[in-house]
Amino acid sequence: MSTLVLSHVARSFGSVTAVRDVSFTVPAGTTFGLLGPNGAGKTTTMRIILGILAPDTGIVRWDGQPIDVRTRQRFGYLPEERGLYGKLKVRDQIAYFGRLHGVAPPNDVKRADAWIERLGLNEYADRPCAELSKGNQQKVQVACAALHEPALLVLDEPFTGLDPVNAETLHDALLDLRRAGTALILSTHQLWQIEDLCDTFCVIAGGAVRAYGSLADLRAQWATRVVEVEPPAPPLRAVLEATPQARAVTENGRAVLAYEVPADTDTAGLLRRLVAAGDVTRFERVEPSLQDIYIRAIGAAA
Amino acid sequence: MNVLAVIYNAEFLRRITSRSFLAGTVIGAVGILLISVLPNVLGNLGGDTKRIALAGDPLVTATARTLLARDFKIVAVLPPLAAPPTTEFLDQNGRVGVIAELSRDAKGLRVVAYARDPSQFRGTFARDLAPLQIALGTGLPVTAVREHLTVPVEVRGVGGKFADESSAVAAKGVAYLFVFLLYLAILLNAQSIMASVAEEKTSRIAELLVAAVDPAQLLTAKVLASASTGFIQLGVWVLVGILSGREASTMFAHNAAGAESLANAVGPLAVPPGEVLGFIAFFFVGFLQYAVLYAAAASLINRTEDLGSVAMPLVIPVVVGFILAQIGLNFPNAPWMQFFSQVPLLSPFVMFTRIAVSNVPVWQVVLSLALDVVAAYVLVRLAGKVYRVGLLLYGRPPSFRQILVTLRS
Repeated sequence: MSTLVLSHVARSFGSVTAVRDVSFTVPAGTTFGLLGPNGAGKTTTMRIILGILAPDTGIVRWDGQPIDVRTRQRFGYLPEERGLYGKLKVRDQIAYFGRLHGVAPPNDVKRADAWIERLGLNEYADRPCAELSKGNQQKVQVACAALHEPALLVLDEPFTGLDPVNAETLHDALLDLRRAGTALILSTHQLWQIEDLCDTFCVIAGGAVRAYGSLADLRAQWATRVVEVEPPAPPLRAVLEATPQARAVTENGRAVLAYEVPADTDTAGLLRRLVAAGDVTRFERVEPSLQDIYIRAIGAAA
Repeated sequence: MNVLAVIYNAEFLRRITSRSFLAGTVIGAVGILLISVLPNVLGNLGGDTKRIALAGDPLVTATARTLLARDFKIVAVLPPLAAPPTTEFLDQNGRVGVIAELSRDAKGLRVVAYARDPSQFRGTFARDLAPLQIALGTGLPVTAVREHLTVPVEVRGVGGKFADESSAVAAKGVAYLFVFLLYLAILLNAQSIMASVAEEKTSRIAELLVAAVDPAQLLTAKVLASASTGFIQLGVWVLVGILSGREASTMFAHNAAGAESLANAVGPLAVPPGEVLGFIAFFFVGFLQYAVLYAAAASLINRTEDLGSVAMPLVIPVVVGFILAQIGLNFPNAPWMQFFSQVPLLSPFVMFTRIAVSNVPVWQVVLSLALDVVAAYVLVRLAGKVYRVGLLLYGRPPSFRQILVTLRS
């Protein structure tokens, strides 16, 4: 199976180190979430993967081979800064980028029409791109990046500018590409949109990897869990207070008892003690969200 | 489908349908048309000074008619004028530009010319009538005087390319015309290729393109497309020049200036095929070198308003090459001309001039062309690096030192 491998990649611009030691793998048919704050080195990492920039040190390989122009032609890219030929019509634009990636006529136009249909751009197909709204231009860009059924598709902030309906359409399209075997690399600050989409996550900050693995792996590395109990009755609070190493966390104004406990706490035993102490209407062991993990990783970096 | 061909096709279509290309081509063609036809049209509107009528003593006008026939079209021969002629009188007598009244007095022949535009009356008139003046003064027959006034002078080229004066003058005209066309094509197309690169950079399309295509390939395809449209533009201008020259000669066949215009316009057709090939080769490599430099320069700017500042230094070698070519018309084989004809960027102008007006050793032509091809290749590689880095720089434009570091990397 084709796999993208980055091994100890580093890149500096003058005295500024953008990426210091980044390693990860992205197998075909999987989705990889590349996360990090602004200036973390995400865009530089993506440009290195795509061969736009060369690494100072480290190795980037696809299918075990260094990435050359031919390989790059099989990749797709949606950069954060969008760009289209304003005077070119939507269909022509999509077909042109398809041809650049080796899709010969007449398939370029056929596939362009298929993407136009899929992304709901039919009424704009023969209009110059400059006349489209920002959201529709974003969809055209996605079609340009994906028309050639890329082996690897790198998307930098793909959901920016899309309304919820269009974001859902794009989400489904990306799932289909993954099913078809495309390796996806997504970078976004809208973490909730990719939590179910990505198989693996990598949080980078200051140019270095701070957290890396599947959501289950990352959660397994998390030392605590939050348990939520309703109603917030004093006997139930007393049980939670008595649990070893438990500490109350903010309830955000909800009528609920929320306590952080060690991850290895015997949850079943805790529930039995709570039920014995009073009437429990709700008990939940809350897994840390991607956002929790991200914030903690970034915090550690800071 | 080859990526180079894909980009070339797209660029070619974009450029050939662009307003700037169409406007430049049409304006150039109209300019050539006007240069070819306007003098004739204006001449015709204002009355042609070569179309004349003679008036006066029939004995004198009969001889004068014969003598003047070489340079003038004598439309009418009239008796002595009763009064100075009016414009209407000139119109009624064959719409002539001039009525010349000839008479005799004690000093010999006397001529009063009534011209619509006195400033345009040609001096050859007096020269043509000189045999008659001498004949009247000496009593010799006009034919004898004519024969003795003509001194046969034959000019023969020595150690040069041309057998006579007229072919040498024509070759200089051809060299000047072709060098001017190269100059015009470079400057006109430089603007359009720079605008194209700047559009891709400022709209951020460049990042998508370099992710899929080698920047040097992208640059080459863009420049080749630019060269193709440059050739088409050149072809249109040359064709318009030829056709307008022919048309002018037909329209104004009665007008000697028409024949002159035709000679000027179709002159290039008489250029030997070797020289035409030389022009095409030097035009191509010259155009390529400058187009590559202009494209790389455009990749360094972040706003289209800054195009002028990066274009300015590149105009200098174009102008220097053009000026050297003009000077070289008179000194084609001077040592410094031989030197500049081997310097890339300048040699497309200088070497072509030398080829057109002198016998240049074949090895010098081959060496110059080879150096130009090598220079074009090196420029594509170096400019490709600048282009690659420049396209991704969105902050302050890089300093000259940074560009050098990039080129060395």
